[in-house]
Parts: sequence; structure tokens; C-alpha cells
Amino acid sequence: MKGTYLGELEELVLLMVGVLYPEAYGVAVMDELGVQAGRTLNISAVHAVLTRLEDKGFLKSKMSEPTEERGGRRKRIFVLTASGKRSLEEANEMRNQLFNQIPKVALQYSY
Amino acid sequence: MPIPNNKQLPTPPRWANQFLQWYCRQDLLEEIQGDAYELYYRTVKKNKWRADLEFTWNVIRFFRIKNIRKSKKGEHPQLYAAMLKNILLVSFRNFWRQPGHSLLNVAGLSVSFACAFLILLWVVYEFSFDKFHEDTDQLFSVITHVEADGAAQSYPVASASIDISSIPEGEKVVTVSTGSRWPHVLCFKPEVENSECIYLSGVYSNENLFSVFKFEIAEGDPNPLGKPDQIVISEKMANLIFKNQNVVGKTFQVDNRAEMTIVAVMKDIPTNSSLQFDFAMPFAFLQKEWGIDENRMKNNFFNTYIKTNVKIDAATLTDKLNTESVVTKELKEQKVNYQALPLKDWRLKSHFEGGQQLSGRLEYVVLFIVIGTLLVVIAVINFINMTTARATTRAKEIGVRKVTGAYRSGIIFQFVGESFLIVLISVVLAILMAQLSLPSFRSLLGEEINLDLISGALPLYVFGFLLLVSLLAGLYPAFVLSSFQPVKVLKNQFPAAVTGSHRLRKALLMIQLSASIGIIIFSAVLYQQLNFIIEKNLGFDRSNMIRLEPTANLFRKFDVFKNELSKNPDILGAASSNMNPLQADGGNTGVEWPGKSKEQRVVFKTIACSYEFPETFGLKILDGRNFLAHTLDSVQTEVVLSEEAVKVMNLTHPIGQTIYIGGSPCVIIGVTNDFHTESLHSSRQPVILYRADYMNTSGVYIKYLPGTTSSSLATVVNAYKTIEPHYSMKYWFQDDTFDQLYKTEITAARLVLVFTIITFIISVMGIAGLATYNVLRRTKEIGIRRVFGASIVQVLKLLTNEFSFVLLFAIFVAAPATWYATDKWLAGFAYRIAMPWWIYATTFTCIGLTVIVIICMQGFKTVTTNPTKTLRNE
Repeated sequence: MKGTYLGELEELVLLMVGVLYPEAYGVAVMDELGVQAGRTLNISAVHAVLTRLEDKGFLKSKMSEPTEERGGRRKRIFVLTASGKRSLEEANEMRNQLFNQIPKVALQYSY
Repeated sequence: MPIPNNKQLPTPPRWANQFLQWYCRQDLLEEIQGDAYELYYRTVKKNKWRADLEFTWNVIRFFRIKNIRKSKKGEHPQLYAAMLKNILLVSFRNFWRQPGHSLLNVAGLSVSFACAFLILLWVVYEFSFDKFHEDTDQLFSVITHVEADGAAQSYPVASASIDISSIPEGEKVVTVSTGSRWPHVLCFKPEVENSECIYLSGVYSNENLFSVFKFEIAEGDPNPLGKPDQIVISEKMANLIFKNQNVVGKTFQVDNRAEMTIVAVMKDIPTNSSLQFDFAMPFAFLQKEWGIDENRMKNNFFNTYIKTNVKIDAATLTDKLNTESVVTKELKEQKVNYQALPLKDWRLKSHFEGGQQLSGRLEYVVLFIVIGTLLVVIAVINFINMTTARATTRAKEIGVRKVTGAYRSGIIFQFVGESFLIVLISVVLAILMAQLSLPSFRSLLGEEINLDLISGALPLYVFGFLLLVSLLAGLYPAFVLSSFQPVKVLKNQFPAAVTGSHRLRKALLMIQLSASIGIIIFSAVLYQQLNFIIEKNLGFDRSNMIRLEPTANLFRKFDVFKNELSKNPDILGAASSNMNPLQADGGNTGVEWPGKSKEQRVVFKTIACSYEFPETFGLKILDGRNFLAHTLDSVQTEVVLSEEAVKVMNLTHPIGQTIYIGGSPCVIIGVTNDFHTESLHSSRQPVILYRADYMNTSGVYIKYLPGTTSSSLATVVNAYKTIEPHYSMKYWFQDDTFDQLYKTEITAARLVLVFTIITFIISVMGIAGLATYNVLRRTKEIGIRRVFGASIVQVLKLLTNEFSFVLLFAIFVAAPATWYATDKWLAGFAYRIAMPWWIYATTFTCIGLTVIVIICMQGFKTVTTNPTKTLRNE
């Protein structure tokens, strides 16, 4: 069902919004993705992900004050919602759990 | 809101931004635009071009369904889809309900569109002439006007001595010597053994030829003709003569005279170039061929083109050309004037008469634009008439649509859409037809032209045309029909708009009729004039005559040649002259005669000819004697004058008088009848025939008995072969040359005839359609009239009366307009027919009769039906 599943890119963007708090908006997220994750995306793609996450209820947004570098336009600032935070935690937890279940042998690269 | 007030701040591409604002959802616009701007400002500091590009790219990437603004009506998209489907369905049903009617519509439209497309193609082709050169606006050709008493003669050449070094704008001069015979047309022997030589035409020019004009060099030296032994040949010639493509650097003998080196192969010259040639050589070769020195070469006149380094007005350049440092004092004294003509006007506007620039070919281009437009107008009027006439049958449909809640805009859309559908089908058919008839159109034009429907901007025009016509044809019916009030319509009360549109239909019919009348009369007058020209007695005999290109050897052994010819009794004579009397170019102002005043300047046609000339051409000697076969007097030669020349010189006893041509004395021995030496566009000129040696002439004319063309030609070819076994004979029939003189007119006449027929058919279709409708509308009225005892003739009269006013009005409009146009066209001929009254009278009667016959035919069936049948239904 929509709302429970979190795609890889979605998860990354969600993380970035958390990292950038309280200044997470389109361009900032795109830049951060480039710097931290080495992912260069078109701004329209970032927008698409952000709106999708908002639709799923993981993010909420409000408009900021007008800024000069945008020709006097406002930014849409995104922040994590409670469910967004929980889904991040869940994803993180599941990943750790699964990682811990990997037999030690499988990680020994001795050959 | 702090808006950046820094004026220097660069802005992203305006259209991209506007596009974004146009499509983007209002609630998303601010952040999307904001992000795009932020990125833009960031990049623009480094690279504006890159920033622009990125901005545009981002705008395109943001163009996603989610971001696109929804249209206002978007709340019920399914409803609109259903509506669209219904409209389309109804259109198709309507189309098939009366297939005859719809097909008539489509046929009329598509035929006229096809004609319009063909005309459009031709017009585009004509206007494309000489425009492929770089900086066409800076290319001029020089025209020479020589003033003589009262009139001026114009030639498309300028003196070889022209010197533009005093004109700062002048960059380069190209002098080009062109011609249609030796030494411009040379026979080249292909490298294959025992093959006949092939005649190819070329030019002589200077090293600027290929740098000023854009004649592309395929391989070899890009700047050829700098050295006297260089030749440039076309790809066509390389294929014809040398078979193999690798010819650059090859040396071969040209015209048995000199070894020339092929320095470059050029691409074949585009057909839309006024200058056409297959090879180009430097002037040095021409000088050698003519056997003259540098000074005499400078006295010659050649086609001259000037390239300026800036854009300059033709009039300004003309003024600068006429300063003494350019023209030279000597020529100024001979009343020589130069005129700079933009090269791109060369094709369409280079017709000069008496020193005045006439539009020439442009007239015909305009004529066909007018005909094409009228044709489309006539067809569109048909369409509008038929659509509005049928409107009443669809009134109920509209009523029902309105009652069930259709907007007016929806109904307008429906009708415009329906007409769009029909116009679209017609355009597609028209393109097909045009494409299919292209080969015959080409042969009708008689030109090897490149016509391509789907090239350049043409498809765009066609689409624009499609939209325009369907809007024109659909809007009026749409507005009338959509204004119906459902209550009235459903109760069978027709609103005033329908009667009003009846009046409009009549007005349109009037326009249509006057346009057809105009075209028909114009083409009839055109034909009359052409017939007049072709049958006019030129004063000499032009039929059953072969002109052949002589060689020096042929003239040396001319007696042998004549002897060979005389073996065939069908050959009546052979003569030679330096000009073809059908098209004697140029004129001579250097003639002096006893009693000539100092200021008098008269242009004579001076024709050098052999003694057989007057007899062979059937000239009548009116006074004195003909040339005799005796050998030429080395001191003074003999001349024969035309009557006109005697009149101009005002000689009472011409025989035995001495006149001077270019300073050398000649004695008048005879007077011949007047004859024309040019096309009948210009008036007849005084002619002086002077006896010359064969060697000083340039064409051999052989007269044969009518009806023996092939056997006589065979004799001529054989005689030629005995003297020149290695050359192939180059010859023309005088009749063909004559046709060539009026090629434009003949082509125009043929085309006009075709278009006239089409116009007439389409008009008849329109009248028939309207008449049918009219009778249908008045079926009941006719029935009642019949019941009350009206005769068939009376009812038919009633039906035709309605149109007679329209017809009279159409005649009233068409007559003066056509009169003006034809008179203007005829004024271009020095010898023209009087305005033919009878053509007007016949056309009016014929059109009137056609209209009446059509109406009566349509009405007759209804009128003769038993009134009880027509009145009983319902």
C-alpha cells in the first residue's frame, strides 16, 4: 500500500531533509544529494520525489520568507513529520537487523 | 517583496520563462520558478550561455503531468471526450448522408487547392532565382542604356573597360562573356573512341567568378581562372566527356586551339540560377578564339556583375556608376548610361523597353498569383454557400443540442471542426493530385525546374493555409447556426439569420461569377493576341528554314557545301548572316548618311549577310537590285536598306548614294520591304543589310520546300559531313526559335487555358449546388403556384429571375476590371490586337446561358412534378 513502502531515492531524500533541517528545500536537497551521496539529479526529479513524499505524509511543508537569490520568490521548506521520522527509523532498524543476520562466514573474504 | 533591482542582472531566456508560466500550476509556480531562477543565477556568474541552456532544460524537465495547470473545464474530462466523440461521429454521418454533395464539395476544394499548390510551387521557384549566392543583396548586374533620338536601347551588358576603383563600396567586378554559339558553345569529343562530339555551353570570365558567385567547387582549386590556361568544368561535363571522375589536373585540347588544364570541377549549377554554364575559361582564351588584341577586347561589352562590400541602394550605385571615371569619357559621348540592377531582380524584372524598366516576367508571376487566389476564393465560396444552404436542414440538430445543454462555443467548435475535416481531406487529396500532376506541370512550363512540395517552409504555408481556409469557410456558418434559438427552431420558425445568409450567398455568388468571367475573358484575349503574333507577317519568311552553326572550314568551302545541297531539288537556297533576323540583338548608332544632322542619333539594325540572304529569306526588292554573286569590293561594300531605313534617312533617291557604317563607306544598291528583327514586344526598326564575306557571318540559313523536312535535313547533314567529318552538326529550325521568342507568353497561355477550364467547372458546380438548394427550398411554393395555374415557363422564369440580378451585377463588376487588366497587358506589345468586343459579348452571353440552363435543369423536375405530390407530405 502507498505510504508504507519507501524507495531507495525516497529514503535518501528523506534523510537529506532531516540533515538539512530547518533549511531543506528543492535546490538545497539537490546540492546535498550531490555532495553527500554523489547523486546528481535534475531539480525536477528532486521536486517530484519531494511532492511524492509529501503525498505519502512523510514530509510537511510551508513557504519561507522571500529571498533575493530567487528573484524575490519564496522557498518551500520541507520538514519531517512524525510518520516520516518513524519510517526512517524502521528502515534503518530493518537494515541493521538484516545486516546482523548475515553469517560471519559470508563476510570473510579470505580466498 | 525585495525584487532584484540590479539592472545588470542577467535574465533567463524570456520564452522559456513564459512557457513555464504558461503551463505551470499556479500553486506550484512560485517554488518551481524560484528553484529554476536560483540555479540560473548560480550558473550565470560563470557562463551565461550555459545558464540559459540549463534553465531551458530545467523548464522542459519540469513539464510533467503533475505540474501542468489543469484547464478550467477540466472538472469533467470524460464529458468533453464524449462530446468530441459525438461531434466527430455526427460529422462523419453528415458527410455520408449526402455523399454526392460532400464529394462535390471535396472535389471542388481539392482541385482548386491542387492548382493553388502548383502555382505556389512555381512562384516560390521563380522568386528563388539567384538568391542562393552569399550576400545576394550586395550583388548587382550592370545594364547599359544607349540613348538614341527619342528612344533608348538597353542591353544587359557593360563595357569591358568599366572601372569601379573610384567607387568605395565596390568590392569586386565579375565580367562574364556568355553566348549561345561559338565560341561559347563548343563541341567536346568524349574520350571514348569514335563518338560524336557533344556541344556544351560555357562562359569566359575573370578570377572573381567563383569567389563572387556561389558556384560550388566539388574538387580542385577553389579560386580558379587566375592563369590563362585554366578551365573549370561541371560535374555533368566531367561525366559526359571524361567518364571517370578523376579529372582535376588533366590537360586536353579545347576547340583544336589550345591545351587547357582542368583545375577544378564544379557542382552543376542550380536550375534557379540565371547564369548557366558547363565550363568556364579565362578571357585570354576568348581573345585567342576571336583573334583580337587587348585593346579591341576592351572595346567589347560583356555581362558585368558588381559585388559591393556593404548593402547599398541600387539607385545610389547607379549614380556612382555614371561618373566619368567609371563609364569613360568616350562612352559618355556616345550617350551610354549604366544602371545597377540587383541580381535577385534579374529573373523577374529585367525587361527593358526604350530605357524603361518593365516588370517583364514578374507580370506573369503576379498574373498566376491572382489566378490561383481567385480559384481558391471561388472554391471556398462554393463551400461556404453549400454549407450555409444546408444549415436549415441541421437547425433541429442544433436545437436539440442546445436544449440538452450545449454551449454556443461548443456548437461553433463543431461546425468549424466539420469544415476543418472537409478542408483537411481536400488538402490531403490536393497534395496528392499536385504531386501526381507535377511531371505534366513541369512539361507544360517547359522548364527543367526543381519542384518539391515538401521542402523548406512550404509545409508550414500549406498548414497555415489549411487553418485559414477552414476557419474562413467554417466560421460564418458556425456563427449563424449557433445563434439559432432552440425554441423557435424546434417549432420550425426560422430566424432572420437564415434569410440574411441567403443574401450573403447571393453576394458570394456574384463575386464568384465575376471572378470566372474575368479569368475567361483574360485568357481569351491572351489567346487572341498570341495568335495575332504568330500569324503576323514579319516581312520575311521564317518557316521551313534550318539554321546551322557554321565552322570556319565550312565557310572556306561554302561553294562545295552549296553544291552538295543543290543536288537535292527540295533545297531552295542557303545564305549566311551575322544575326538571326528573328532575334537580332543590339543596334548600331554609328551610321552616317548624306544630309544627317550632327545631333541625330538613330539606331539601325545592321546585318552582315552573304549575297543570297534577301532571296533566301523571301525579301522583296522594291527599288534597285539585289546583291550580286561577284567577289567583294575591298574598298566599299554594297548595302540594301529597308524602306523604313530610307524613310529615316530621308533619301529621295537612295540608289547609288554612299553611307558610312562605323566610318567605312557603303553604297546603296537596293531597297527592300520592311521586316521585323525582334519580338513583337518592340517596334520595327530600320534595317541595313550589308554584303559581307562568309567568314564575317555567324549563321547559315537553309530554305527547303514545305513538307520535306526530314529528307532536306538529311541532305544538309550529309553535305555538312563531307566538309566537317569530325563535327556533329548543330542546327535549329527557325520555327522553334520563333516559338522560343514567345516562350513566356506561350507557356502562360497554356497554363491560363488549363486554369480557366478548372475555374469554369468549379463555378458551374457552385451554381448548380445553389440552384438545387434554391429549388428545394421553394418546392411548396412552386406546388402552390402550379395549383393556381402558373405555367412551367412562368415558374422557371421566377426561379431564374432571382439570379439574373446577381448575374448582371457580376458582369457590371467584371467588365471594367478585366478591361483594365487586359489593356495593360496588351500595352506591353508594340503590335497588338484592338480590344475584342466580341469576346466580352460572347463570354457574357455564354455565362448567362450556362446559369439559366443550370437553374432550369434543376427546376424542371420539381416544376413538372404533380403538385399534389409535393404538397401532400407532412
